[in-house]
Amino acid sequence: MPGIDQVLFRAMGIPGVLGAGLIDWTSGLTLGTAGQAPHGDHDAAAADTADVVQAVTRNATFDTEGTGGPALEDLIITAAGSYHLIRFVHTAFDSQTYLYLWLDRSQANLAVARLRLRDLAAELVAS
Amino acid sequence: MGLPISPPPAAPAGLLDRFAAERVTGALSGPHGCFYFLDGAVYCIESTAAPGLGSRLTAAGKVPPQGWEYAAEAAGDRRTGGRFLVEEGWLTQGELEICHLAALLDAAFFALPLLPGATSFTPGTAHWLGVIRPVSTTALLQATARRRALLDRLQPWAAADTSPVIPVGTRIPAATTRRQRRLLDHADGRHTPYELARALGESAFATLLDIRLLAAAGLVQIPPPPTPLPRRRPGACLDGAPAPAAVEHTAPVRQLPLPDVFDTADPTIALLVRLRTALEEEL
Repeated sequence: MPGIDQVLFRAMGIPGVLGAGLIDWTSGLTLGTAGQAPHGDHDAAAADTADVVQAVTRNATFDTEGTGGPALEDLIITAAGSYHLIRFVHTAFDSQTYLYLWLDRSQANLAVARLRLRDLAAELVAS
Repeated sequence: MGLPISPPPAAPAGLLDRFAAERVTGALSGPHGCFYFLDGAVYCIESTAAPGLGSRLTAAGKVPPQGWEYAAEAAGDRRTGGRFLVEEGWLTQGELEICHLAALLDAAFFALPLLPGATSFTPGTAHWLGVIRPVSTTALLQATARRRALLDRLQPWAAADTSPVIPVGTRIPAATTRRQRRLLDHADGRHTPYELARALGESAFATLLDIRLLAAAGLVQIPPPPTPLPRRRPGACLDGAPAPAAVEHTAPVRQLPLPDVFDTADPTIALLVRLRTALEEEL
């Protein structure tokens, strides 16, 4: 049964990945990191992506009623040379965490990365 | 996110920084919580204000209540309670780490700041859960400061923190998030946000934040001030303000400051806005 470090290690096997992290979005605290971060600063990447996630989670626009599954699945930011992929980790208990992937746009396949990250998020909490 | 807010109070971080530098191991008790250290890093925090790992896991149905008690007994002096929960098959290592860190962060918010003179340290004392995933004191202080800034932005609705949560019925269905709807569903007009958080096994910080947001949106009642002084609506103009007597019989309507109005780089204006907010809190 994998822990945070094992899941981040596996995330580093996703094609085109530069770095990965697990972050609490209400505080920007990194619960774990692997690989590189933009500007070499995992903590700054955590705080900045947490800002983005907060903006999405506090708005009811993205959290519509009547759907059975989890409200939010992932966020994708497409930048000049990279993708930033944010995957919400849904737990049975109360938590506010997401997996973050920094991908090299010339190497990565966004569709593959999304599916692999979805599976890793499920592995992290599957009993 | 460009809203000017008053800077968080300078954290009296001295004690935690010293503990980190001296790489201490043991338990530090403060008035609002207890910190457990291993080699200067914090690996467990307990606070009476925030639901702990046990409350969160049992409320979510992950661990049966008697199972939690059994884990505490079984861990005994070996301090391996966390590993026991995983070995019993109740949760994965990932779930243990995430839930434990969520509980730790939540407790840190209420246990900090630590005031020198109000603490006692017991060297060598360990927590029965064992060391699951330690956090550096620097990261913990930064994370807590960011959370405080989020809550401080809703300071005008702070009165809602400690009062029973009374939902306000609206004719138009209001846009709320799933968390907020769950809180409104469980609000019975008797329990405070802290009590709701404990009953639901949810983050006390996130609950306070949501209740303040709901109060700001007019979906939760704000307790009336002790003296019925007229309230000024933030953002209203002096000449256009309604007479205080006309609004006295209705629940005070308070609005979030408009970001584009307050988003200014001018330090003088930012100071005036802060002053006005502070004065409004006095009303």
